[in-house]
Amino acid sequence: MTQKLSKRTRSLSLPGRQRTLFRWRPDQQWDGYLFVLPSLAGLVVFTAFPVIFSLVISLFDWNMIGKPRFVGFDNYAALFTRDIIFREVSWNTLIFLVSIVPIQMACSIMLALALNLRLRGNSVFRVVYYMPVITTIVAAAIMFQFIFDRNYGILSSVVWNLVERWSIPITPPDWLNHPGWAKVAVIILTLWKNIGFSAIVFLAALQSIPKELYEAAAIDGANVWHRFWTITLPMISSTTFFVFIILCIGAFQLFGESFILTRGGPGYATMTIVQYIYQSAFEFFRMGRASAVAWVLFAAVFVFTIIQWHLQRRWVYYETGER
Amino acid sequence: MQQRSFALFALILLLLVAACSSPSATQSPATPNATAPSQGVTLRWSVWGSPEELASHQAVADAFMQAHPSIKIVIEHTPWEGYHTKLKTIVASGDLSALPDVMFLGQDFNQYASEGVLENLTPWIERSGYDLNDYWPALIERATINGGIYGLQRDLDLRLLYYNKDLFDEAGIPYPDETWTWNNWAEAAKKLSIIEASGRIVRYGIGMETGKWGMLLAQSGGAYLDDPRNPSRCTLDTPESLRALNFYADLLNANAAMRPATLQQIGGDAGAFTQKQVAMIVQNASRAPTFGAAGMNFDVAPIPIPEGGRRVNNSGGARWVMSSASKHKEEAWTFLKWLQSANGGIDIYTKRGEIFPALRSVAQSPSFLQVDAAPRNRQAFVVEARNVSLFTFGDFPEFGELNDLIIEPNLQLIWSGQASVEQTVPEICRRVNEFLKQNGYPRS
Repeated sequence: MTQKLSKRTRSLSLPGRQRTLFRWRPDQQWDGYLFVLPSLAGLVVFTAFPVIFSLVISLFDWNMIGKPRFVGFDNYAALFTRDIIFREVSWNTLIFLVSIVPIQMACSIMLALALNLRLRGNSVFRVVYYMPVITTIVAAAIMFQFIFDRNYGILSSVVWNLVERWSIPITPPDWLNHPGWAKVAVIILTLWKNIGFSAIVFLAALQSIPKELYEAAAIDGANVWHRFWTITLPMISSTTFFVFIILCIGAFQLFGESFILTRGGPGYATMTIVQYIYQSAFEFFRMGRASAVAWVLFAAVFVFTIIQWHLQRRWVYYETGER
Repeated sequence: MQQRSFALFALILLLLVAACSSPSATQSPATPNATAPSQGVTLRWSVWGSPEELASHQAVADAFMQAHPSIKIVIEHTPWEGYHTKLKTIVASGDLSALPDVMFLGQDFNQYASEGVLENLTPWIERSGYDLNDYWPALIERATINGGIYGLQRDLDLRLLYYNKDLFDEAGIPYPDETWTWNNWAEAAKKLSIIEASGRIVRYGIGMETGKWGMLLAQSGGAYLDDPRNPSRCTLDTPESLRALNFYADLLNANAAMRPATLQQIGGDAGAFTQKQVAMIVQNASRAPTFGAAGMNFDVAPIPIPEGGRRVNNSGGARWVMSSASKHKEEAWTFLKWLQSANGGIDIYTKRGEIFPALRSVAQSPSFLQVDAAPRNRQAFVVEARNVSLFTFGDFPEFGELNDLIIEPNLQLIWSGQASVEQTVPEICRRVNEFLKQNGYPRS
């Protein structure tokens, strides 16, 4: 085999030269690297270098124009001791995390179950629920600004009509002027935008469950509820874990939804960690602080994911048995 | 066989990459052709503008060339969106000779002037005896960098009070005029707003966008900081500042003015004004054609001031500048001077209804006062223009951060009705002072 190959490749190499750069040997590994070089170069230039660069910059005070001044871990120390805004944005991000992730998980599983039913026109609904995912967040957020208007928005108009018709003494919230309701508004927009994605992932998982399991359970007299808890949920648990991790990372990185809908307001009510990074870096040119916050965020996501990775053994079922 | 085709493929790929990358490396930036005709000089003149504005620029160039047959003007037009980026790219390339001789500038003026990109006009002004006294106050001061004048301002971006005449008639309120104080204003706003029994607000009296509140602060004599360039403390807690804060907060909480977040949410003040969701807005002249086209019955008035307060207005506007690398400075100055003289270019722009001129004599001439278009009350512009000032609340590198991260979010809580002035202002000032100290202000 080896002989045959080397004989054939010899004819490719230049005559008279035995070990040239372009000589083809079956044990050669580096030409594989040569082929991935374009994407590898991209990875180094656009990912690895900026990552290392930001780690270095987080130890400096730098405004992008002047000379960087070395400050050691001062940027990090400042975040945890005297930076009130970092505290606010961390708290907000945490609130978004613990509200968006569970609600989106529950809603998208239910949606996937519904989309999995053999109903006429269900493929239309699959498209409809996926559309927000491919909608530009800017356009969506501006549309939601109109929806959340207290006096004329669609949501409020329903309430106002109730008030007028049956004189029920309620008033709709002034969504974007109230810190609590503004958070709810951001959560609603984020859910609307992203549920389609997780529902599609769950739908794929549901469709891969063998029908025999349900048939066997039905023969044994299990009702719908039993089948859901003992077959469906365990069978999609690896997908559930995947979606859970993806959603958590997404919630940690929440930015576009809140930034365009409320610009972080009122006050600091919907300002997220990533907005703080963005503004620090590109509006106030505090590259050191921005990098430090980014690395703290990375550490938080990393630790969170590691913990989840270990906890998953208790509830995630893989068909191969291992893990 | 497989390996051979693979190697061939790799070779072709390599050649392709080489072929793609080489031309861009050797291509030189295209330098516009500036060859002069046999007799006379050609000046390159860069402008931005819509098709209508471009037509005005062309009319100006034609009129100049008719008066000065020996100078040819070539217009280099770029849409507003890319205009300043294009100039910045030329400056960054280091080849200033690629810059047009005369340029229209709306941004980057201070930077270019201090970096030597622009010609210092002071010697030219002195030599030709060009009259600077015809400019509205503060405009020459704005154009002065390190003792030299680097640009001549064409127009003034004045803010005025737009009001819907029909709504005033309905409510039986006299139209606002120069004599109005904040009291008249607040009273009218309260009468003009409509709140249904259910609590739904159909119309607000005033709609002011985020940030425009600063003018009220300046009118009452207040400020954010004691010194905009080298601050030592927050002055939002002075009686003058508190007066403006309370005035605006009271208007908002009485639903006489629309909350700025709500105004932003429904798409800005122009839409709210045309849809009669607000009866009065504070805007510059650029909106007038939109409202005219919408068939609105509206006019403008000077912005009401507090009792004992002063008028202030925005002194911003676009300028003409000369490139320091121009080869025809003599001709460029002739053109600049003509652009900015009462019977020259500025008069043509004014007559075409596009600008409020930076020259007093033009603003008070029929060219401005008798243009046949809304708004009718042309005198209101003149009243405001007399009082343009350089009001700025912060002019140091960290001000953006201080404002966006500390002052603005906390003020927003007041504007949203979530916090009172008395609660919030001491907290803002405490944090502002702390910020100034951390960043080493005041600097000696």
